[in-house]
Amino acid sequence: MKQTVQMDRIQEKMQPGVYTRDGFLGTDRRKLIDILIEDDEAVKRMDLTHRQIADRMIGLRDAGMRGLGEFINVEPHYEIRVISVRGKLPCPFGDPGIFPKTNTVVRNTKLDREVTFTDMHIHMVGSHGFYEGKGSPFRLEPAELAEVLDIEPIRE
Amino acid sequence: MLSSFLIAVIAMCGLATFLALLMVIADLTVGNYGEVKITINDETEMTVEGGKPLLSTLMGEKLFIPSACGGRGSCGFCKVKVVSDIGDYVATELPWITEEEKKENIRLSCQIKVKKDLAIRIPEELFNVKEYRTRVERIRDLTYDIKEVTLKLIDPSEIKFRAGQYIQFQTPEYELSSESVYRAYSCSSVPSRKDIVELEIRLVPNGICTTYVFEHIKEGDEVTINGPYGEFFLRDTDAEIVFIAGGSGMAPIKSILLDMAEKGIDRKATYFFGARTTRDLFLLDEMRELEKRLPRFSFVPALSAPAEEDKWSGESGLITEVLDRHLKDGNHLEAYLCGSPGMIDASVEVLTKKGLQEELIFYDKFA
Repeated sequence: MKQTVQMDRIQEKMQPGVYTRDGFLGTDRRKLIDILIEDDEAVKRMDLTHRQIADRMIGLRDAGMRGLGEFINVEPHYEIRVISVRGKLPCPFGDPGIFPKTNTVVRNTKLDREVTFTDMHIHMVGSHGFYEGKGSPFRLEPAELAEVLDIEPIRE
Repeated sequence: MLSSFLIAVIAMCGLATFLALLMVIADLTVGNYGEVKITINDETEMTVEGGKPLLSTLMGEKLFIPSACGGRGSCGFCKVKVVSDIGDYVATELPWITEEEKKENIRLSCQIKVKKDLAIRIPEELFNVKEYRTRVERIRDLTYDIKEVTLKLIDPSEIKFRAGQYIQFQTPEYELSSESVYRAYSCSSVPSRKDIVELEIRLVPNGICTTYVFEHIKEGDEVTINGPYGEFFLRDTDAEIVFIAGGSGMAPIKSILLDMAEKGIDRKATYFFGARTTRDLFLLDEMRELEKRLPRFSFVPALSAPAEEDKWSGESGLITEVLDRHLKDGNHLEAYLCGSPGMIDASVEVLTKKGLQEELIFYDKFA
């Protein structure tokens, strides 16, 4: 698929130094459309949707917020900590509003693995199917998210 | 054939040179704003080179406006009131500016450029903010994810701050950051120790500054800070005090308590400190020592998920639950809170339910 001019503009906003110091693309030199397509295919292969992944992230973040900034045990086998750092970010896709720099750390004690995501991630995954470029320090791998957060396909 | 090709190449080169010349001339004339006068609070005047953002221009004049993102427009801290005409808001300012602030012409100083004479208003206390060269005197682990960093001031050699205020710590360029950035940390030292600034820094996953502190700096290194900033300090009343903190929120409260002990401020005070397990508790001996120095002060650590091996006999539960159990009537209280927004919002809810007036709740939110 060909990248639109509008997507070119969005990709410019994702460069280091525009909205964030390191940008959203890491060392990924591909067109944004190709990044989106590859991650979309990965999510489809797992029989999941971006919205489903984002909803799971929201659910775990909200459960973790009860810890008031400290790790809290969440059933069945998670330790979650939601921490906020100073500052807020606008969405590079141009959506209205700004997103607080809230980090959610989810430890899956059964797998002994953890993932960290931000409120901006939740928005970008759910609304745009964007997990950041390869090599970005904040890149989320869809397969890893699905595994650590125990996201299962919805069976009809 | 060859000659027409050469003519075309020469013509193209000539055109490109002409355009480049035009751009250079434009840069030297249109983009050159020359000297510009900035008037601050109707009193102070400074003459500066025009063309740069207001934030960095003022920083060049050693006038520091709080900013946590290094002028990228992503923290919304560097607001100033502009009282002269500076044009319309730019798109990057708008997410940060409320309708009320628009009426007041409050602007993000990192996003507006100094192109002509300008008049602004800033809080008077920002004139006391200075940049300091410091040396890391000591780094010690308070917990597995909180470090105490003691900075010895080199130049200037002394700082004047109020207990509870914060400084901005400059992280230089390193592998996680292609340029220097500033992050805000509360001072945990007592203000009478003018030659040092002590900070308590908690590791944030992928955090530029906290990773730098945890993995890169060592004792003897030089660090640049600026400050002090903030409105979080003990009010001069006789009201009974409730302190509430968690994690590195300990820092400003510790500074306030040390200051109270030194000045003999004998107000009844209770400090509720929330942690998960005993691994997350720290400075317990220091707090017990303060209980001895301040006869009407008591420290109440609370664990939300004590491990069996902790053999914890103290308060258990979320800090808000402990607060709810302890506080009967908040009517006569003043509260000082420092921690995550979630903890502060939940604590404010409990305090106001107990009858504490919202204007008597002071907090430093990590947001």
